[in-house]
Amino acid sequence: MLDVTHPSSSDDHGDAIPSDPREFAAKVNAWVPHDIVLKDAWFPLAHSFAVTAKPVRRAVYSQPYFLWREHGVALASEFHPAAGLIGAKSTFSDAAGRYPVIEKYGYVWGWFGNPANAAPEHVPSLPYLPEEGGLPLHMLGTVRFDCTAPLSLENLIDLTHADFLHADVVGDEIMDKETVEVFHDSETITMVRTCVNKSVAPIMKWFGGVKSDVQQVRQVIRIYLRSHAAIAYGRFSPGDNVQLFHPCVPETRDRTRLDYAMNTTNVKKTNLFRYLMPKASYKVSRQDSTMTSPQSPRYMHPEKRKDLHSPLDEAGQKYRVLMLALAERQARGDYAYRDNVSADCSDIIGYQKP
Amino acid sequence: MAQDAWWAVARSEEVTSAKPINVDIGDQPVVLWRDQHGAAHALEDRCPHRRAPLSLGCVLGNGMIQCGYHGWTFDGETGHLKNIPNLKSDAKFPPIYRATPFGVAESAGFVRVCLNAKATAPVATNENLPLSGTVNVALDHDQYIAALFDDPALVLAMRGVRFTPYLTTELIVEQGLLVMERSCQWAGPHWPAPFSSDFPISLRIATDPLTGESELSLRDDMLRPVLTARIAPVPAARGVTQVRWRARLAPQRSGLMARAMGTGTPFTLRSAIDGAALRVLKPSASIHAAALRAELTARAQQSSAA
Ligand code: FES
Ligand SMILES: [Fe+2]
Repeated sequence: MLDVTHPSSSDDHGDAIPSDPREFAAKVNAWVPHDIVLKDAWFPLAHSFAVTAKPVRRAVYSQPYFLWREHGVALASEFHPAAGLIGAKSTFSDAAGRYPVIEKYGYVWGWFGNPANAAPEHVPSLPYLPEEGGLPLHMLGTVRFDCTAPLSLENLIDLTHADFLHADVVGDEIMDKETVEVFHDSETITMVRTCVNKSVAPIMKWFGGVKSDVQQVRQVIRIYLRSHAAIAYGRFSPGDNVQLFHPCVPETRDRTRLDYAMNTTNVKKTNLFRYLMPKASYKVSRQDSTMTSPQSPRYMHPEKRKDLHSPLDEAGQKYRVLMLALAERQARGDYAYRDNVSADCSDIIGYQKP
Repeated sequence: MAQDAWWAVARSEEVTSAKPINVDIGDQPVVLWRDQHGAAHALEDRCPHRRAPLSLGCVLGNGMIQCGYHGWTFDGETGHLKNIPNLKSDAKFPPIYRATPFGVAESAGFVRVCLNAKATAPVATNENLPLSGTVNVALDHDQYIAALFDDPALVLAMRGVRFTPYLTTELIVEQGLLVMERSCQWAGPHWPAPFSSDFPISLRIATDPLTGESELSLRDDMLRPVLTARIAPVPAARGVTQVRWRARLAPQRSGLMARAMGTGTPFTLRSAIDGAALRVLKPSASIHAAALRAELTARAQQSSAA
């Protein structure tokens, strides 16, 4: 259970989630994630270490982002600096083809949307990543998903999937009790899953020094909707906490890039878990891909048949509705942030700074 | 895709309770598995929860299929959702909580699926065809059958047999099947087909006008069977045709060439079709087949209207 009251929507526009269950269900089932392209958001386009004097190429919804450094400062442009301004320029960059850029938490963030609206307070709060970056390289990595970004995030926020898909890494569904709580505002959704006496994650048993057969688990997934970026924070007892930043950059509408950061500096230096857990992303992401890649084409067009839901799907359903609400607002020309994504969310996710 | 057609989508030995398999009928993905009593089941290969393919899941000890994504568990007979393991509840689910079930019938080494779960099963046979195989051909179903009719050599091979362009019987309708018989020669030195007065063997093909499933019988000039085969082309995704086959050599065969069929591989289907030869293949029997099919459909419509 969260020990904080969730901040309510900071305006008088009302809740983005309809209280009428039928209206809610209609929105959940109108889910065509490929049709949603949200603007005015920071995307963590690259780990800071990956941006050097030599430009690297990234994309957000096919929009090109060339990233490089001049005198140590990260820059982003629609055009390769060696080629200069060629061809048509979009409205996403300034007259010189440059995008707004911010460097924070060890990432170079590029603004996708109207450059005039770019503001530092729209960078999501990531409490357990050092603001100035600098995590060791073995805690950072890149994985890709052959699916639309919202499906990757929907996958993440429904953690019952981990018991089946990642049972060999994080343990199976055997436990005494499971509760799921969901909190949201107009820009974020947070899911807290509490498991009582869950079978121990094999990776913790083998490499993390956890001797008991069961552990108490509290997992938090917090998604910053516009930035398609998620916090995945797990508290295990016995065991070490898992502090993952899981951004899903929609390079195209059907392919997703994840430059992850798994901060294991909380784990003892003598514990193998500190070095292995970040590498588990390679295995876990391929397991997720076995499901999300065949799912993706099945979500490209509206479907007559409704998805079926269980009470455990509350978070995923609300994620859909919140994304749709943002898309609908943007379609009406309303790009304003009604809630502050950069306010420290430590209390919301139950994280205590060391 | 005719709703009541029975498609031979698998050979019996391909369907096990170790791991579900995926096949398709046109653009309809189907998952197949066998329960603990050996009965085969078919559901739409799409979990109604989040659309993941059920074929990526597993078969439980109670014979039900469990989706590999969030563990939803379905009954093979009805498709009904029976369990969501994480819910830890015995509550029953409303009837709309189900995956789409299909009809299944198994006989003579083939598992047949009908998209209409209520369709009457075809008459079972106990034909024993020990040789078998599966090929995936990058040619669509209609064209595959047309090639079989116009030049079998493009789609299959029988050891030592040459198919000639000469038919002893052009396509006719016999008991609802499209039937034709083609003169064949043994490989080896002899007059080329256009100058031959008689042929030592012939191939009879009897084809279901809807599914293209065909029985092939190679007989000698005394009408004694040499080889019998059943091939089942099924339209699969992206215009691929999946073809399952089973065959048997007649135990007693007279003549050197017929006896020699027993050494090596007597029957195979080609997994690749020679495009250069196919493009210039002149349609003949396939034109008649189209006309006969149209006639059969019209007749069926008339009788159902009457
Ligand atoms: S998609 Fe099958 S259980 Fe969730
Ligand atoms: Fe996962």
